[in-house]
Amino acid sequence: MSKQQKQIVYFLFFSILLLVGCRSSNQSIKIGLNTELTGEAPAVGASCVKAATLFVNKMNQDGGVDVGGKKKPIELIIADNGSKADEAVVVAQRLITQNEVVAIVGPNISSCAVPASEISENMGCLMISPWSTNIHTTTKNDGAFKKYVFRACFTELVEIPLLAQFAMSHLHLAKAAVLYDMSSESPNSAAHQFQESFLKAGGKIVAMETYTSQDRDFSAQLTKIQASHPDILFIPAYYNDVPLIAEQARNLGITAQFLGYNSWSTPEIIQLDSHHYLDHAYFSNHFSTESDSPLVKKFIQSYQSTYGTAPDDIAALTYDTMGLIVESIIKAGSLNRTAIANMMANIEDFTGVTGTYKFHQGNHDPFKNVIVLTIENEKFVYVTTLQPE
Amino acid sequence: MDYIIQQVINAIQLGSIYGLIALGYSLVYGVLSMMNFAHGDLFMLGAFFCLLLEKIIPLPLWLALLLTMLVIGCLGALLERLAYRPIRHAPKVSAIITSLGCGLILENITLAMSPYPRHMPTLFQNSIFHFHGITISSLQIIVIGISLLLMILLDVMIRCTTLGMVIRALAWNRLMVSLLGIPANRIISFTFALGAALGAAAGLLYALTYPVVSSSMGIAIGWKAFIAAVIGGIGNMRGALLGAFILGSTEVMSITMLPSTYRDLIAYSLLLIILIFKPYGILGEPPTQKI
Amino acid sequence: MDFTPEKQSPILEVSLLNKNFGGMRTIIDLSFELAPKECLGIIGPNGAGKTTLFNLLSGIIRPSSGKILWFHQEIQKKSSSEIVHLGIARTFQNIRLFKQLSVLENIRIAYDIHLTYTPLQALLRTALTREEEKKSAQAAMELLDVFSITSLAHQPAGSLSYGDQRRLEIARALALHPRLLLLDEPAAGMNESEMYQLVELLQWIQKKFHVSMLLIEHHMAFINGLCDRTLVLDFGTLIAQGTLEEIRHDRRVIEAYLGEAVT
Ligand SMILES: Nc1ncnc2c1ncn2[C@@H]1O[C@H](COP(=O)(O)OP(=O)(O)OP(=O)(O)O)[C@@H](O)[C@H]1O
Ligand SMILES: [Mg+2]
Repeated sequence: MSKQQKQIVYFLFFSILLLVGCRSSNQSIKIGLNTELTGEAPAVGASCVKAATLFVNKMNQDGGVDVGGKKKPIELIIADNGSKADEAVVVAQRLITQNEVVAIVGPNISSCAVPASEISENMGCLMISPWSTNIHTTTKNDGAFKKYVFRACFTELVEIPLLAQFAMSHLHLAKAAVLYDMSSESPNSAAHQFQESFLKAGGKIVAMETYTSQDRDFSAQLTKIQASHPDILFIPAYYNDVPLIAEQARNLGITAQFLGYNSWSTPEIIQLDSHHYLDHAYFSNHFSTESDSPLVKKFIQSYQSTYGTAPDDIAALTYDTMGLIVESIIKAGSLNRTAIANMMANIEDFTGVTGTYKFHQGNHDPFKNVIVLTIENEKFVYVTTLQPE
Repeated sequence: MDYIIQQVINAIQLGSIYGLIALGYSLVYGVLSMMNFAHGDLFMLGAFFCLLLEKIIPLPLWLALLLTMLVIGCLGALLERLAYRPIRHAPKVSAIITSLGCGLILENITLAMSPYPRHMPTLFQNSIFHFHGITISSLQIIVIGISLLLMILLDVMIRCTTLGMVIRALAWNRLMVSLLGIPANRIISFTFALGAALGAAAGLLYALTYPVVSSSMGIAIGWKAFIAAVIGGIGNMRGALLGAFILGSTEVMSITMLPSTYRDLIAYSLLLIILIFKPYGILGEPPTQKI
Repeated sequence: MDFTPEKQSPILEVSLLNKNFGGMRTIIDLSFELAPKECLGIIGPNGAGKTTLFNLLSGIIRPSSGKILWFHQEIQKKSSSEIVHLGIARTFQNIRLFKQLSVLENIRIAYDIHLTYTPLQALLRTALTREEEKKSAQAAMELLDVFSITSLAHQPAGSLSYGDQRRLEIARALALHPRLLLLDEPAAGMNESEMYQLVELLQWIQKKFHVSMLLIEHHMAFINGLCDRTLVLDFGTLIAQGTLEEIRHDRRVIEAYLGEAVT
C-alpha cells in the first residue's frame, strides 16, 4: 500500500513541476518520459522516473545543456502509459505533437515499447527504450533498424554469447543443460542464443528442456536433465520460477552450476530463495552497484541520498538513456529532431553508469559490456565485467 | 530403470495434486450440475491462507492443514450462498460467468494484498532419501500420503455414509431430494465446503512442494484439474482421480520420451482422443432423466 | 356428502384453488375436502390438470390463488420439504427414483427425514450417527419386506422391473411416515396381476399405517378397489364427484370422456 501512496505523491509532485515548468518552456529542452507508472509494472516506472528526475535536476543545477553555444535547461515531461500498449501509443503521440518534445525515454516493457516505437519512427522523433530487449523495438519487419529508435540496454545477442564464453573460459565447464520457459519470448530466445553460442564456443549441450509459464513442477524435466549429467544448468526463466527450479534440481541430486541472465536481476529472487539453493549461481546483468568507477559511485550516492534506496537496473539504464540524449543534443548543436537522431546513431564511446556504449555500423542496439553477478549471503555480488569484441 | 522409477514417482506426485483439485470440481458438478470455475482460486486461497497463518503463528503441518481446510471450506460455502444460489435457476451460462467472475475477484483481492509472489515457509524438516539412484523427499512422501488419505476418506464418505448417500442422490435429482424433506440447500452448502476444503488442502500441499505463493497460481493448474475431471467423467469422484492420474502420467511420460516442448501438445491431444471415444469421460455416464 | 353418517372434520381442505401457466388456466376454482383415513380417487382425461393438482399440494409449484388447508393450517406457500415434514408424501407419474442408488438406499434416504444429526456430525460419524444409521437401515429393510423386494435390496434401483420400481417409489414415500399419500398413476405400466397385488397391498397399508390417500388412476378397477369417493377433473374444473357408480351416470363426465370407455 505504502508503495502506491508513494507513487501518488511522486505523481502529484511531478505534475506540479510540470505545471510550473510550462510557463518558462520556450527556452527549455523538452524530453518526454513514456513510462509504466501504473498497471503490471509500476516498480519499473517508479525507478525510471526517479533516475530521470535525478539526472535532470543535476543538469539544470549545473546550468543546463549547451545547445549551439547557449545553455538551456531540460524540462522533463512525465506521462503514464499504464503498462498498456494502446496507452503507450497515445502517450507517444501526445508527447510528440502536443508537448513537442525533442526525444522520448521509454517505454520500458516490450509490449509497450514495440507499438510506441512505430509512432516515434513515423513522426520522426528520437525514442530510446532503457530496458526493452525485444528485437522489434528497434528493428522493422524487414530487419532494418528504425531510424529514430534505439535502446540503452544490450540485447540477448550481446549478452548471451558473452555469458556462454564466460561459462567456458572462466568456469571451465563444457557440458550444459538448459531448462527454459518456452511460452515467454525473452527466455525462449535467450535459450536458443545460448545453445548456439555455447556450441560455437566449443561446449556441448546435453539437454534442452522446456516448460510453460505457470508451471511449478519441473521434476520430470529435471529428472531427464539429471540423466544427462550436465556441468551447467542454464535457467533462462522469469525470476519467480528460478528458485523453484533450483530447489527441485538440488533435491533431485543435480549438482550442476546454475547459470542465469538478466531476468534474474531482482531482489525478489533472493527473497523467494530462502533456502539458498541459488547461492553461488552466476548470472549476467546490466548493472552492478559494486563498481569501482567514480561515475557509478557518484550516481549511486546521489540516488541513495535522494530516494533512500539503491538504484536498480532500470534506474541505471534510464540515467544512461538521459545521458545519451543529452550527448546527442550537444553534438547536434540544435533542437532539430532529425539532427539529434542522426547524432545518436554515431555515438562511438559514451561512458554511462552501466558501462561503455558503442553504436556503430548503423546498429541501434548498443555494444556494451555485460556484468556477471553471483548470489552470496542474500546479496548480489559483483564477479566480473565482460567486454564484447 | 531408476530413471523410470523416478519419473513414476514424479507422475504420482503430480497426479495426486491434480486429483485433489479435480475432486472439488466433480463434487460440485455432482450436486449442482455447474462448473465452479472459481475452484482454482480456492486452491490458491488455501496456499495463501496457510502462508498468512504461518506468518502469525507457526503451526505444525496437521494443524495448519485442518485450519486451512476449515476456513476455506467455510469460504466455499459462503461463495455458494452469496453468489451461486441466487442464480441457481438462471441459464447455465450465467453460472459459468458468475463463477469465473468470483474467481477473478478472489484473485484480485489477493493481488491487492500481495502483488508479488511470496515464499512459502517449510512446515517441517524436509529430508531427502537416495537409494539406488532414486531420490525421494520426506515432503513428497507426506504430500502423496495426505492426498491419498483425503481421497480415500472422501470415497468412503461418499459410498458408505448416509451423508454420502444424500450427496449421490442430489447428483441424481435435486428436486426429489427436497421432496423427501431433506434440506437440500444445507447439503449443497456442505458439499461446496467439502470441495473447497479439498482444493485448499491441495493448495497448501502444492505450496509446500513448490514454495512460491502467488495470486495467479491457481489458474493454470485449475484448468488442468478441470480437464482431468472431465476426462474421468465429471460428477464421478473415482473418475476425477483416474483422470488426474492419467493427465499427470501423460505429462511426465511425454517429457520422458520426447522433447519437453511437446508435453502439453501430446497430453492434451491424448485427452481429446479419449473424449472422442468416451464423450462423457472414462467413468462418466450419459445424462438420463433429470429435472 | 351431506348424508355422511359420522361427519369428521377434514384433514385437507382445498378451496377455490387456481393455477395459471402464462395465460393458460390449468386449475380453475377447485374446491374439495378429504376426511381422515379416506381414499379419494381423482380421474379425468389427459391434460385435465391432475398432476398439476398434486404439484400444488406437494409444494412443487405455487397456486395463482386459493387456499390449501392441512389440519386447518394454510400450506399453499410452503416449500416442498416443509410439506413433507408436515406429513404429505407423493409418488410420480414418471418414476423418480435415485436410479444409481441401491434399493435399500432409496428407502434409507427417505428415513433421513427422521434423523437428527447435522452434516458435520455425519462426516465425523459420531456414535449418535452410527446408532441412527443402524436404526434407519433396519426400518428400511422391514419396509422392503412389506413390499416383498427384500431380495433386491442391494441392486441399483434403476435395474428393477417397472412394476418393482413403482412399488419401490411407494415404499419410499411411506418411509417418510406420511399421513397423506399422493399416488400419481401408481398402476401405470403394470400388468393385471401386479395391479391386483398392488391394490391389496395398498388396502393393507391404509389399514396398517392409518394413512389417507389421493389417488390418480385411469384404471377404474383400481379406483374401485380402494376409493370411497372420486373427483372428476376436466380442463381444470371439478365436473363431478361421488361414488364411481354415481359418476358413471353423470352426463358431463360422459361428455368429457367423449366416448372414451369408462369401465
Ligand atoms: N409447468 C408447466 N408449465 C406450463 N404448462 C404446464 C405445466 N405443467 C402442466 N402444464 C399444462 O397443464 C395442463 C395439465 O397438465 P397435467 O400434467 O396436470 O395433466 P394430467 O391431468 O396430469 O394429464 P395426464 O393424464 O396426461 O397425466 C397440460 O396442458 C400441461 O401442458
Ligand atoms: Mg398427470
